[in-house]
Amino acid sequence: MLGELWQSLDPSLFWEYRVILLSGLAVNVGIFLAAAVVASLLAFAIGLARMSRIGPLRAAATGYAELFRNTPELVIIVWTYYVLPVLIGRLFGIRLDLSPWLASVVALGLAYSGFMSETVRGGLLSIPRGHVEAAMSIGMSGWTILWRIMLPQAIRRMLPEALNQFVSLFKATSIVSLIAVQDIMYRVSMINVQEMRPLPLYTGAALLYCAVVIAASQAIQHLSARRQSWV
Amino acid sequence: MIDNFNRFVLANADMLLFGMWITARVCTLGFALAIVLGALACALRLYVPLLRPIAIGYIEFCRATPIFVQLLWVNYVWPELFGFPRTVEGAGVIALALQSSGYLAETFRAGIQGLPRGQAEAGLAIGLSRLTIMRRIVAPQAVLVMAPAIVNQMAVVVKSSTLVSVIAIPDLMYQALKIVNQWFEPIEVLTTAAALYFLIIFSLSTGAERIAVRFRRKFGLVELH
Repeated sequence: MLGELWQSLDPSLFWEYRVILLSGLAVNVGIFLAAAVVASLLAFAIGLARMSRIGPLRAAATGYAELFRNTPELVIIVWTYYVLPVLIGRLFGIRLDLSPWLASVVALGLAYSGFMSETVRGGLLSIPRGHVEAAMSIGMSGWTILWRIMLPQAIRRMLPEALNQFVSLFKATSIVSLIAVQDIMYRVSMINVQEMRPLPLYTGAALLYCAVVIAASQAIQHLSARRQSWV
Repeated sequence: MIDNFNRFVLANADMLLFGMWITARVCTLGFALAIVLGALACALRLYVPLLRPIAIGYIEFCRATPIFVQLLWVNYVWPELFGFPRTVEGAGVIALALQSSGYLAETFRAGIQGLPRGQAEAGLAIGLSRLTIMRRIVAPQAVLVMAPAIVNQMAVVVKSSTLVSVIAIPDLMYQALKIVNQWFEPIEVLTTAAALYFLIIFSLSTGAERIAVRFRRKFGLVELH
């Protein structure tokens, strides 16, 4: 079976298309980076809102997090791409064209902001009350306490979990081909239509993803092991 | 909008219901297979030193590859390589099972290794066989600890199952997109599908949390505050 796999996994075909495949992967990386920024910013806003003293704000933020944590990524992407422009058009009477790329970034950013707001909340909750009280007793304002006391500590504690979320986010970028972003899976399918050789193409794509994700997780584990000495 | 809802969603309720039935079937079969494969991978990893590297490689591959890539890989490559699956639904079930079996194997391992060693040693001391220790002492306690993670994995399976529409399994997502392509009215149908998925997944993950809290209280698995 392995011999057969090796025979039909003609590496030269994969090598022949290396530029197309790697530039496809670069599109994934681009979407990943943009979506990671969107998700992190939203996650901080939502995470802070979930700890607010204002009841309705807290409830709204919790609802937001639950909504995006419990809806499949594909549904969010398709909804953002097909429904959002039409809905905005009907409601406000403006024509809005969302490019597939932008729709993927927005959708993945929204989807992962739900998961990550939980991480942010956990990080903020892990800070001992005494630190905040000490800052208050020397007369720091709320924002200064957040900026100088809470966030620097919370971010360090959130880092390992947040990085794992980023790995999941990177894996999720594989589905953007479904709204015709020309990423690696899109290109693999296109080449497959021409060459009719699914085995080397799809196996290659799977192994490529596997290599990237395992390398990233190993790096994260290494980093979190070292982090023990920071805190 | 209410008009459209009646015309596109209610008029096609049978299609959406049929889609939900297919979703339920694919998820149930996929999850059942995932439990079997996950238990097997975990057992090989823990108890068969010779096959340990293979089990670890399998688990890491399943966890590190996106479900969409696995789905296409199983659907297009496996028939050529292994001669099965012969239907798209088979491919969908296998892909969902592969993905979850990797995560479940690690959940099982954490559950088994998380038990204090004294439990198994006490069994050995009174002369129980290894199999009996597994069946009567380790497994019942480990299952209790793992229950929330297992239910959570079920929610992940339902989430991932939306992708099987891509290989033309007529699940809920597939039916919703079919209605959209027929009428070019995406708002009501896709929003309804999104709401249905949210309800299913939300109840699964809320259920997982409830189970976790109840077990912790009932069995004192976590120190009380």
